[in-house]
Amino acid sequence: MMVEEEKSRVRKGSVWSGTITIGLVNVPVRLRTMIFDKSVTFRFLHKKDGSPLKYQKVCIKEDKVVPWQEVEKGYEVRKGEFVVFTDEELKAARPESDQRIRIDKFIDYLSIDPVYFDRSYILTPDNNSDAYSLLLTALEKMGKAGVGRITLRTKEYPILVHPYKGALVLTTLRYAYEVSDPSRLEEIKELKEPKKEEVDLAKKIITDLSGEFDITEYKDTFKQNIDELLEKKTKGETITVEKPVKEEAKELMVALQETLKQLKKK
Amino acid sequence: MSEKLTKVEFTNLDKILYPKLKITKRQVIEYYIKIAPKMLDLLVDRPLVLTRYPNGVQQEGFYEKDAPPGTPSWVETFRSYSRIAERELNYVVCNNLDTLIWLANLAALEIHMTLSKTSAFETPDLVVFDLDPKSPAGHDDAIEVANLLKEKLDAFGLKSYVKTSGKKGFHALIAIEEGHTFEQTRRFVQKIGESLKKQTDKVVTERAKSETPGKIYIDYVQNSHGRTMVCPYSLRATAQATVSTPLAWSNVRKGLNPETLNLFSVVKIADNPWRGLFQDKQKLGDV
Repeated sequence: MMVEEEKSRVRKGSVWSGTITIGLVNVPVRLRTMIFDKSVTFRFLHKKDGSPLKYQKVCIKEDKVVPWQEVEKGYEVRKGEFVVFTDEELKAARPESDQRIRIDKFIDYLSIDPVYFDRSYILTPDNNSDAYSLLLTALEKMGKAGVGRITLRTKEYPILVHPYKGALVLTTLRYAYEVSDPSRLEEIKELKEPKKEEVDLAKKIITDLSGEFDITEYKDTFKQNIDELLEKKTKGETITVEKPVKEEAKELMVALQETLKQLKKK
Repeated sequence: MSEKLTKVEFTNLDKILYPKLKITKRQVIEYYIKIAPKMLDLLVDRPLVLTRYPNGVQQEGFYEKDAPPGTPSWVETFRSYSRIAERELNYVVCNNLDTLIWLANLAALEIHMTLSKTSAFETPDLVVFDLDPKSPAGHDDAIEVANLLKEKLDAFGLKSYVKTSGKKGFHALIAIEEGHTFEQTRRFVQKIGESLKKQTDKVVTERAKSETPGKIYIDYVQNSHGRTMVCPYSLRATAQATVSTPLAWSNVRKGLNPETLNLFSVVKIADNPWRGLFQDKQKLGDV
């Protein structure tokens, strides 16, 4: 939970405000949401009356709903064995949010592998934009990014501050222990060196299929279908449920469309 | 989601029906979809008999005269007493694309049709000359006889249409006016056959000689009530997935190999040589 004082400082549209500190230099910034999860979510409803359902905490032993006052937090050390933490203990252990993005050093932006990237936020200048503009321009010109830390709410993250489309973007990173190392897997260790001719052939195929990356080419078909249905349903149209056409029948559908077109012409 | 293109629910699309060429049921359905604009006109109102090969052509198919159990309500059927089967049959009639696709999905690779329509089932509207070469006679012999037959029919002022049988033989057809009987058409074919026999020793017309090696048997008995011939554009249950292919007479020349007319090649033919078949309704004269 954010402290009251901090909440009031956060301007409309931003989730956090503070300063980027690089040694003795301060750059006042605000943090804005950049990533919006657009995947389809549904609420559970009661079939009988369409009312939304809520979750309740039920004691496994008593099979009874437990009120909040009777709830505490436990860490499962072994199956069914818990170490209890009080709210006070947890509060004391949490880092304090200090409105600072501490930059420890600058690195080549491309030297960090995307597997560590977690969530991105847009940084916008707060009050004074000169320092912001200077930092942005310098990073753009050198192809560098700042690495450091931030405490958001009660969690501390490693972060990267880097230019993106004429702005500074902060991307939280995953900790090293959160990402598993594939080179430790047996299947990976046992990989054999391919023959030179094979590599040449593979390289040729890759060259032939090379292109520019365009993320807009990729669509979430489930979401598109749901959006279409939603439009129809909100207009009051009745929906007939179709069995999904399997991928394998798709080429038949193409032939069908062509034949139906020809039969119509008659 | 797009509106439904067909009422048919596809099943077992990856099942291989022609093992030699690894042709799946999906490809068979695709063939019938693609050929439908030419084929459907020729099937209108005609009771059909199916040969189904649910386990592929390497196994024996089964002959189905009745609409099978589970036939959807939107498939047209036609009830008629069959003297051959000696019972009432419920034939499938294919008057639309969905029915054709449904047949393909049943692995009804071979579709056979009667020579009369539901509207006048007792009387023929087609005459068929089935030229069936017996080994060592082959398609070249059948082509030679087919051309002799065409000349003869031309001489009577009758316009004929030709197709491959999908095997080694050829089928020549004449569309006729209402008012003929099967007895008349049978006698007509028999007489033409006999006169061809005088021209070439390759032809036999007697049932007893139908299996004579090296001869081409003209089966006039096929022109009977309830008898069927393989439909134009039907697939055959042959290793090469051949098609009973309508052709222009000008293409029925020595060197034509009917085995090359198959599931893959026939859909690429732009020409529709049988377009005018049912516009040319003719009267059989005396031979």
